[in-house]
Amino acid sequence: MAGAWRAAGHEAPRIAYGASSALARQADAGAPAQLFLSADLDWIDWLARRRHLAAPPVRLLANDLVLIAPAASRVEVRIAPGFDLARALAGGRLAVADPRAVPAGRYARAALESLGAWKGVQPRLAPAGDVRAALALVARGEAPLGIVYRTDALAEPRVKVVATFPEASHPPIVYGMALLDGAGPEARAFAEYAASPPARTVWARHGFRFP
Amino acid sequence: MLSGEELGIVVLSLEVALASVAASLPVAIAVAWLLARRDFPGKTALDALVHLPLVLPPVVVGYLLLVVLGGNGVLGPALASVGVVFAFRWTGAALAAAVMSFPLVVRAVRLSMEAIDPRIEAAGRTLGARPWRVFATLTLPLAWPGIVTGALLGFARSLGEFGATITFVASIPGETETLPLAIYAYTQVPGAEGHALRLSILSVILSLAALAVSEWLVRRRPGAARDA
Repeated sequence: MAGAWRAAGHEAPRIAYGASSALARQADAGAPAQLFLSADLDWIDWLARRRHLAAPPVRLLANDLVLIAPAASRVEVRIAPGFDLARALAGGRLAVADPRAVPAGRYARAALESLGAWKGVQPRLAPAGDVRAALALVARGEAPLGIVYRTDALAEPRVKVVATFPEASHPPIVYGMALLDGAGPEARAFAEYAASPPARTVWARHGFRFP
Repeated sequence: MLSGEELGIVVLSLEVALASVAASLPVAIAVAWLLARRDFPGKTALDALVHLPLVLPPVVVGYLLLVVLGGNGVLGPALASVGVVFAFRWTGAALAAAVMSFPLVVRAVRLSMEAIDPRIEAAGRTLGARPWRVFATLTLPLAWPGIVTGALLGFARSLGEFGATITFVASIPGETETLPLAIYAYTQVPGAEGHALRLSILSVILSLAALAVSEWLVRRRPGAARDA
């Protein structure tokens, strides 16, 4: 997105990547941030309660939870209520972001619980430190299956999407965008651009949906 | 006092840390001796290699371990064919801890070996002792405080290992979830701060106990009573 924005003749935005919690706390502590993009709407609300938002937040993007396997795998899994994931693992482990610590893992747990598959697969988890570490475990073939966001799966050629979890099986995965109180005209223009139709084609190419 | 789950985490952490020290200490003593007492081509390279885990981010070390020793890694399949598997096993956690703590152990042992007057070892050789005997009866006992310190540092670093472990073998309860991994998970759960705090206090107690043991070991080193 930053590249598309630059191609449109603007100065490249300076991007600070980090956990939503850490970034929100930094903005609250006075870091010179103008725009906040987060996969966790709770942290945007948190900033709103502390009166740091210059405009109401927008729900910019949505993501899906997918079951992935190494690209060469021939495993077939149909995600349905009561499906037997442990059997599909065939003795291997299911790579997920740690369900206690990482949002992607919490979504995975919610999806598996609502489908009645959590109890059966829980002893076979390989809880990773973050969703990209879970992706790496499947990409390297250490785990025969994993659960990540669709955008992660598309970014890694060594994995393939086996199935997509039904949207209703987990809380919506929505990314919010909020202009912060220090936002200048350039930040406002970028925010507008990020939600525009040409930007949407870029987001969609990377696997995002729109809420 | 301790819940079954907490006890399991503590026991696993101790096993991992002890196995890590047991695996790294003999190699570290050999490498420290090479670096302290021998000149050979590639010595600087070996020194740099030994220090690599100290300089690299732990996550990088964990990823390199995965690439080399994972089930589909460079050496993984060959090791698996002789029954050695690290991926998702406690042995992998011990290996990650051993690799991460290795530079600290080598440094401590090497410093105490370099502090030994080479003339003592030379005298041993003059009196007809073979090199191995000089090493076993002079170098090792004289380097004892450094060896104990190195073992303690290695144990402490292993007990605290996080990044390489979670990247290499994930955080599997009962298998690879050691104290720091469990504490991290609990700090991320709203309302579980109490659990995290209990485990943190346990970490402190374990560390203090390790320090006490090493003090005691240094004091009772061979010959300590005489030069005290």
